[in-house]
Amino acid sequence: MTAALPAAVPVTVIGGFLGAGKTTFLNHLLRTGNARYAVLVNDFGAINIDADLIARHDGATMTLTNGCVCCSIGGDFIETLGKVLDQQTPFDHIIIEASGVGDPWRIAEIALVEPSLRLSAVVVIADASRIESLLADPRVGDTVRNQFDRCDVVLLSKTDLVDSATIDAARTVIGRLRDGISISEVSDLTISDISALSRQKPAGRFRADAAPAAGASHEREFQRWFYQRQSSFDRARLEQALLELPSQLLRLKGPCRLAGENQTFVLQMADGSWSLTRAEAGKFSGRPGIMLVGIATAELKSAGLEIILDGALATSIDAQTDA
Amino acid sequence: MSPDTIVFSARKIVTMNPSRPLATHVAVREGRIVAVGSFEEICGTSRIEVDTRFSEKILLPGFVEGHSHIMEGMMWSLPYVGAGDRRSPEGRLVKGLPDIDAIVARLRQAEAAMTDPSAALFAWGFDPLHIGGRSLTRRHLDQVSKTRPIMVIHASFHISNVNSLLLEQAGLDRTANISGVAMDADGEPTGELQGIAARFRVFRVLGKNPLSGDLTAEAVDRYAASACVQGVTTITDLHNDLAEQTIEIYRAASRRPDFSVRLVPALASVSHTPEAGIAKLEALRPTNNDKLHYGIVKLVVDGSIQGFTARLRWPGYHNGAPNGLWYIAPDDLPRIVEAYHRAGVQLHIHTNGDEATEVALDAIEAAQTKMPRPDHRHTLQHCQMADAALFRRMKALGVCVNLFANHLYYWGDSHYDLTMGPERASRLDATGTAQRIGVPYAIHSDAPVTPLNPLFTAWCAVNRISSGGRVLGRATEAISVEQALAAITIGPAYTLKLDHVIGSIEVGKFADFAVLDADPLECAPEKLRDIPVWGTVVGGRVRQAPRA
Repeated sequence: MTAALPAAVPVTVIGGFLGAGKTTFLNHLLRTGNARYAVLVNDFGAINIDADLIARHDGATMTLTNGCVCCSIGGDFIETLGKVLDQQTPFDHIIIEASGVGDPWRIAEIALVEPSLRLSAVVVIADASRIESLLADPRVGDTVRNQFDRCDVVLLSKTDLVDSATIDAARTVIGRLRDGISISEVSDLTISDISALSRQKPAGRFRADAAPAAGASHEREFQRWFYQRQSSFDRARLEQALLELPSQLLRLKGPCRLAGENQTFVLQMADGSWSLTRAEAGKFSGRPGIMLVGIATAELKSAGLEIILDGALATSIDAQTDA
Repeated sequence: MSPDTIVFSARKIVTMNPSRPLATHVAVREGRIVAVGSFEEICGTSRIEVDTRFSEKILLPGFVEGHSHIMEGMMWSLPYVGAGDRRSPEGRLVKGLPDIDAIVARLRQAEAAMTDPSAALFAWGFDPLHIGGRSLTRRHLDQVSKTRPIMVIHASFHISNVNSLLLEQAGLDRTANISGVAMDADGEPTGELQGIAARFRVFRVLGKNPLSGDLTAEAVDRYAASACVQGVTTITDLHNDLAEQTIEIYRAASRRPDFSVRLVPALASVSHTPEAGIAKLEALRPTNNDKLHYGIVKLVVDGSIQGFTARLRWPGYHNGAPNGLWYIAPDDLPRIVEAYHRAGVQLHIHTNGDEATEVALDAIEAAQTKMPRPDHRHTLQHCQMADAALFRRMKALGVCVNLFANHLYYWGDSHYDLTMGPERASRLDATGTAQRIGVPYAIHSDAPVTPLNPLFTAWCAVNRISSGGRVLGRATEAISVEQALAAITIGPAYTLKLDHVIGSIEVGKFADFAVLDADPLECAPEKLRDIPVWGTVVGGRVRQAPRA
């Protein structure tokens, strides 16, 4: 039913303050990676990979025997990422380490405007033993807070070094910043597939062995939902409708026509962020005007969704001006 | 005097050597100063011929620009569209543009001269604050061309304006809901872009980034030419990754006898771990020559004040804007500072806001406590908001400061109204405080952010007047003309640890002079910026500045 969309490479941005454990996490990911990852890191020297896993090492790039590549960001992030995108064989997933004082969302925005990329998730790692004091720090508190503003998943690190009361306190201060955000512990993750940590949260892909915290959404049942119309959307009304969609709709994606435009567009929405990009010419010719597929939690009533999206359809008068 | 000695006579030689402040004759041999004094003192007993071409000129030590960037040389291959007058490397006076119409006209002129119809047009130097806050939109740029991409880079280098074609090529339309794409009232992009995401997308589409393109030998020659035009004989390149290609170009340029400036590149710490940085400098130092001086490292702690990215102490920004950004974590700075300090590397630390200055001083104090190093001369760069207490800490720690005096003119009004408010703005770039407390100091342009022109920079520190005509703390923070001349010669030479070879006209030093048509010590202080520069002498080689 879903059309084959142009293959955009998923991007995960790993944020977190200096010393949070980003490098440890990335080392783990590189060693156990079961897909072809490109991992862009700030401190190349801190990447610690067994020599027998390294196939090639040429200054700023390390190629592993498992197919993963680790690149040093060095002085020019734009150039480094550009080179990764220019690789002949596309990577399965690109993982970018944000600077310890940077805002990972700023980097994540690249995946919202670069058509060859799509945003998988912004993951912020927080040191369970320090996060409470860091957030209260007069010099860096605002920097640390900003990192959580737009993240999708929080991972607590170093939980084995502190007691359960400290872990609870860490969960509480983070929950106060982002009510309902998914918080897991790095030590409990058995993942070696980074796409499991996704803002789309599709059913069954996220596996954390830890008992989920109250309110954590990842063990819920999910449903798929289809929306198909022979007409086109009015752009302004569609933008409005996207804002009105209930939060139980986690993701919405697919080709659609817009009134007044000859080309087909691809709508992608996840967690309240959305983008409309022009589809490759001819890609969806001969198909219905709008074909969207959504992923939602079990609680969602699809009838409400259809009313909202139907309200965004171009009227017949709009449709005539189309021609 | 041996026959290979040249004696220059001048109307006056201002030496900046306190034990012999004034002279009329200077003798030069093998690129160095052999004698300074009167005709009788130098030529009295020998029948040496005097070179009289400067007999109506004023000689000063060659100016030392302690904080500028090679980007100045790169930018001049593109049209300039800023509000203030600038002089090009060819010596051409490029008039500042007072309004949008004038900007469009200059861009049209540049567009008409382009031969490749699909090539992108880049321009630089725009700042809406300097033309009354009016913004440049894609509609304006569409008047220049709808068929080639256009990108105008702001003076800050962090924001740009592009035309509709480039927006379309980059797919940045009304649906681009990211923070760096400014939208108008109708929800359409204005063409103003900032932030890493928009920049990545645009450079991806253009296939090139004019801000980080490869350095060329021509750009280095333009940089040297600009220096000559402004009387500068030693210039910094205060933040450079020092890639192999750059090192090779600098090596080749500096070894050419006609290369007319001494170059002091600073290694950008962000591109290296301290261990790698130290090793790189150890490898580079033996390749130094008279005109190329590796050895210093640049750290950037925070952003800019007018961009609201500098880190300020309480009560923060005057207009209530949230505090700025750390580019190095305060927790991480002591580790980096200590590593370089232990290795004996001199640090140049960018701190604009006073919170960043405080954190930098904390890190230097910790390093000095662990391992006292006499005469380290770590230097705070910009350091625009430091109060007297911070200057007293600098003094106690042996720290130097290079103050951004040009800010008084270019953004003084913004600092008064928006960023700092009246009291703090009046001690912006507090040269008077540095002088009183005895912190060794220099003043700078940060070219190409503001124009390379040390006499203008000196004028700013002496007059402390904004482009809007507001006087900022002149009674307490202004310095005298003599002090300002020291702050563009021996002052920056000291901050670069080169004061034993440059910065004053003194026996044994390089024969580096700024040749002026009028005497800065005799002109009215408000006319200091109008003194014409005839050219330079670098290592005894005379170079008349081009006047196009």
